[in-house]
Amino acid sequence: MDFEQIKELIMLVNSTEITELELAQGGLRIRIRKGLQAQDPTAGPFPGGQDSVGLEAVRAPMVGTFYRSPGPDAPPFVREGDVVVPGQVVCIIEAMKMMNEIETEVGGVVRRILAKDGEPVEYGQMLMLIEPRD
Amino acid sequence: MRRILVANRGEVAVRIIRACRELGIETIAIYSEADRSALHVIWADQAVCVGPPPSQQSYLNMQNILAAALAHGAEGIHPGYGYLSENALFAEMCAAHGLVFIGPEARHLELLGDKAQAKAVLREAGVPVIPGSGVIRDHRELSEAADELGYPLVIKSCAGGGGRGMRLVKEPGELLSSFAAARAEALAFFGCDRCYLEKWLTPVRHIEIQLLADHYGRVVHVGERECSLQRRQQKLLEECPSPVVDAGLRARLGAAAVRAAKAVNYRNAGTVEFLVDAAGDYYFLEMNTRLQVEHPVTELVYGVDLVQEQIRLAAGEPLRYAQAELKPRGHAIQCRITAEAVRPGSHPFSGVVERLLVPGGFGVRWDSHLYQGYAISPFYDALLGKLIVWGQTREEAIRRLARALDELVVEGIETSIPFHRAVLRDQRFTSGCFSTDFVEQWLQESEIVG
Repeated sequence: MDFEQIKELIMLVNSTEITELELAQGGLRIRIRKGLQAQDPTAGPFPGGQDSVGLEAVRAPMVGTFYRSPGPDAPPFVREGDVVVPGQVVCIIEAMKMMNEIETEVGGVVRRILAKDGEPVEYGQMLMLIEPRD
Repeated sequence: MRRILVANRGEVAVRIIRACRELGIETIAIYSEADRSALHVIWADQAVCVGPPPSQQSYLNMQNILAAALAHGAEGIHPGYGYLSENALFAEMCAAHGLVFIGPEARHLELLGDKAQAKAVLREAGVPVIPGSGVIRDHRELSEAADELGYPLVIKSCAGGGGRGMRLVKEPGELLSSFAAARAEALAFFGCDRCYLEKWLTPVRHIEIQLLADHYGRVVHVGERECSLQRRQQKLLEECPSPVVDAGLRARLGAAAVRAAKAVNYRNAGTVEFLVDAAGDYYFLEMNTRLQVEHPVTELVYGVDLVQEQIRLAAGEPLRYAQAELKPRGHAIQCRITAEAVRPGSHPFSGVVERLLVPGGFGVRWDSHLYQGYAISPFYDALLGKLIVWGQTREEAIRRLARALDELVVEGIETSIPFHRAVLRDQRFTSGCFSTDFVEQWLQESEIVG
């Protein structure tokens, strides 16, 4: 896929009601999202000012209690500075006595862990920030 | 109870938060990503985002709502009206997690949520019901039942509500197609296509009785509400007392409603709806196992805070009122202000409230989640607020309502305010002589007049 084709895709999404389009072809993955500023209030500015530019957030996909480790005495899944790969479990959200393992979609370096261990988190809340790496 | 999660949005979430504050109970609001700046979120002690804008993934997301209640230490959940308020599974899940569901028990929601089943139980208990069929299983049963009832008749969904899955059939030729349409609509809205037939009674008035029941078998009624002013089965204006209900009819309707509640060992607040004909004969329509949108008119006339009573009863307190203590005083009227122009073919709007002037003064109540600058989301109900007035007499209440409607200004979106103003001037309304087809008639006339 070349630049022109990507441009065409963007124009196409823009001219329809679609707000998000994800496309995978060979080793290439493209995600086009539209109108986030107005429609997605959770997509607010990252905390931490300048440092946060270029960081990707891992967000809570459900409501529950955030845990950094699989058990009370176990080491945390990740620490700040750790390198993670896409699909790696980075935390747990307990909801209604069920332990839900949360995976990161992006790979890279864990820069900030924002949620506190054992505290309630809401839907869409930023749990940690990752600096993407290829 | 010290902390309650309010599992709703809009004006009813605000209403529940107000009741909790006065009782010294902390509140947890839930909200979708589209409601981040909603009034109930601002006013609650805590607020938890439970999902994206579509209700199915947020306000109906049982797992996220229960997880929010548990993670934040709520003891009870108030479901408001609509959404999960009549969901038996949700009530059961609350109980399983040690949370008090502020409403009746799951078994009541299940039994009374099935309209055909509820009718059968109440007929057994000696409450008059509208002549009708059982659940229709095939075309043979359909035509037999229709021939027996005669026309016009109405097709209703067992899971129905708000006029969904409901069709009026005027003559035999329309029966098959109407039945198919009603079934399809019922399936789409309720996930259940069980339907039955009922005789179409007209002209009738829609009158409902408010009930309160404790955990110890005591039930009282808190008078009636007149709800005949409807359009497409949606109520537009309600009043208490009804202009056609005298003390004798009130006592008979009240006794029938109490009998209905006792027959199923009902708990908490509930409403029994009746159709009442010109002769004063009444027929059970359905029982609503939740708080009603029009509850404030009862509150003003009987001096009872129904939401606070719901919370007390759910906590296991005994009823605080004896039947003899519940006496109507004066007259109350409520207008449902919606984001739509009441005229043929119109649909709800969304937009930003550019200017808002709220009415006030003696005997005026404004229950709403609106504020200036608030963006009305296209994802949810069109109800913007409820304007409720009280007067010594019906005439005084109508005059006060006209004054309050003149004060109410909502700019930036079209609303039902002009419709309500016009209705108050209509002689049929002021005389009190109207039935459930009044609004449709009125709309036809106003179209002819231009």
